Amino acid sequence: MYCTNTVSFKSVNKTITMSIPPYTEDQNDALQEVVNIAMGQAGDSLARILGNFVALSVPRIRLVTVEDVIKTVTDMVDNNAKISAVRQAFSNSLRGEAIVVFAQAGADDLADLMGYDTDLDRSAEQELLLEVGNLLVGAVITGISETLKTDLNFSAPSLMAERTPLDQVLVPEQLSWSHALLMEVNFTVESRDFNCHLLMFMAEEAIDTLRSILDEFIDRIQE
Amino acid sequence: MAVPVTVVDDSKISRKMVIRALPPQWNIELTQAENGEEALAACRDGKAEVMFLDLTMPVMDGYQVLEQLQKEQFNTFVVVISADIQPKAQERVKKLGAIAFIKKPVKTLDIENVLHEYGIV
Amino acid sequence: MSDSNDTTNLLNIIVDRAHVGIFVVNQQREIVLWNQFMEIHSERKADTVVGQNLFEAFPELPRKWLDRKIENIFILKNFSFTSWEQRPYLFKFAHNRPVTGGVDCMRQDCTLMPIKDDNSEVQYVCFTLFDATDTSIYQSKLEKTTEKLRELSNRDGLTRLFNRRYVEEALEKEFNRARRYNNKLSVILTDIDFFKKVNDMYGHLAGDEVLRIMSQRLASGLRGTDVLGRYGGEEFLVVLPETDMQGAHVLAERLRKIVQAEPVAVEGESLTINISLGISELRDNTAAYAQLIAEADLALYQSKKNGRNNTTLFQPDF
Repeated sequence: MYCTNTVSFKSVNKTITMSIPPYTEDQNDALQEVVNIAMGQAGDSLARILGNFVALSVPRIRLVTVEDVIKTVTDMVDNNAKISAVRQAFSNSLRGEAIVVFAQAGADDLADLMGYDTDLDRSAEQELLLEVGNLLVGAVITGISETLKTDLNFSAPSLMAERTPLDQVLVPEQLSWSHALLMEVNFTVESRDFNCHLLMFMAEEAIDTLRSILDEFIDRIQE
Repeated sequence: MAVPVTVVDDSKISRKMVIRALPPQWNIELTQAENGEEALAACRDGKAEVMFLDLTMPVMDGYQVLEQLQKEQFNTFVVVISADIQPKAQERVKKLGAIAFIKKPVKTLDIENVLHEYGIV
Repeated sequence: MSDSNDTTNLLNIIVDRAHVGIFVVNQQREIVLWNQFMEIHSERKADTVVGQNLFEAFPELPRKWLDRKIENIFILKNFSFTSWEQRPYLFKFAHNRPVTGGVDCMRQDCTLMPIKDDNSEVQYVCFTLFDATDTSIYQSKLEKTTEKLRELSNRDGLTRLFNRRYVEEALEKEFNRARRYNNKLSVILTDIDFFKKVNDMYGHLAGDEVLRIMSQRLASGLRGTDVLGRYGGEEFLVVLPETDMQGAHVLAERLRKIVQAEPVAVEGESLTINISLGISELRDNTAAYAQLIAEADLALYQSKKNGRNNTTLFQPDF
């Protein structure tokens, strides 16, 4: 399945490229590769606990403004129905937040997939979402930090939304950045209803920090 | 005599990572390909006795390359290198004739083990 | 003594005395470290639990769930967390708010950390256990307050009935549901007859009293699924899910009779209060919920024109 060519870091509009210099072709290539590797590890972790083959989309990387983040995310997630979402912060050399968005049918199917009784109470359901969210985010953060040889930590997961329309989950007024780098991948268990999206956001200064981390990574490969 | 080796990946950095991880003492004649079609062309030109193949690529992906290699009965040793490391993905490429599956990021040791196993080095 | 020895000693002391629970288990789930916090709260000394299987030493732990969580850390090499919000506690510890707490035992947040060897294989899992009792108490207070505020914001201060905003929202929801499932839906709009006169003759306090009594009587005549709200000054709106016009008519007549059944005592006088009612129902061509209110209002107007103290069903040819 192919969505993008190798240059995947696309600005949504020209004003962004004015204020934040775009990454070079090499930086984009490296970032895409690092994200592919990290997302692959997340998919593998998920497959292990679900005991099912997990199909991964090709990770997409975009620079978004606060104005169009909701539209971009809605387009990516492609789901106007209700969702549940788990968020986690990561920090240290790069700061940002990761959000795992579960399509509702997928969230409902999770207990069964993981071999639990299907009539879980609300707390047990929440616990499952947190568990799976943490698993994906943890694997991606670990993958990125190991591949780029940079230190990253992540916080405990928290529930951001339960059966909520997507447009109520991300509220522009609550976002205190103007640009963010958004990385997205979709995990699907094809034989089942399960489907979730992992979104990683890095805002403003992290975009520049990442630029130099990518350069160091590229230099190590070039040696 | 130098062994013709082709490294196939749409990502330049990824190809570099693979090339860097090849055993330093291994005498090879290296070709790089950015997609499946270029990879098949390299095979037809006799430039791929050993192929390191990525799975997700535009134009023609790794699975299609493997199918085509089987159809055309090439004797290429194909080592799949992929970020998607689930056991089922591994099974699938082995059924399609790949000799090994190595996960990204590639380590020299992983490549050496495969090459030793098949007596290539 | 070298610096690194100093540091190691320092770390040992800190780990032991920190005000968080710290303990470590190996792959066999045997406890290999147990700090002071854990000793104090479990009332088990380290030397009595170290070397023991975690689940044998503490049979009250949710074994199946926790064992799987630990196993996943060995396999996936990933941090894991538990939160009091979903699982109030792992260990049943007393908390330090025995008087002011209002919860039965210590609420706990937990972090499970993989400890890897040089080959990146997980050798141990380190638990850090945080006392979240205070947070949980504040949160539950906050939730209660929020719930109270939400309830207040939906109510009319004088009559304690739902307010106009709430009852309109309820109607909108029922309207959408009825459309989706092809259900019936009707609405009663009712108004107290000559209410202005009560206010003029006996004053606003008496008027308020009449409104309160009327509200109680209206509420007493309804079914559990009906939604009654104060719509305006002396106007009330009733939403009747899964009810057609005939059903609504029966109910409206019941309300009219309940209200007038007993006189109301006002300023030493006993007044008989009547109401007029208008009814509308959902039809195929009803465009929006507001149309139902508008049609009930037209029917109510007709009741007033017909001499009050009666019920009118909306007709499309009004």
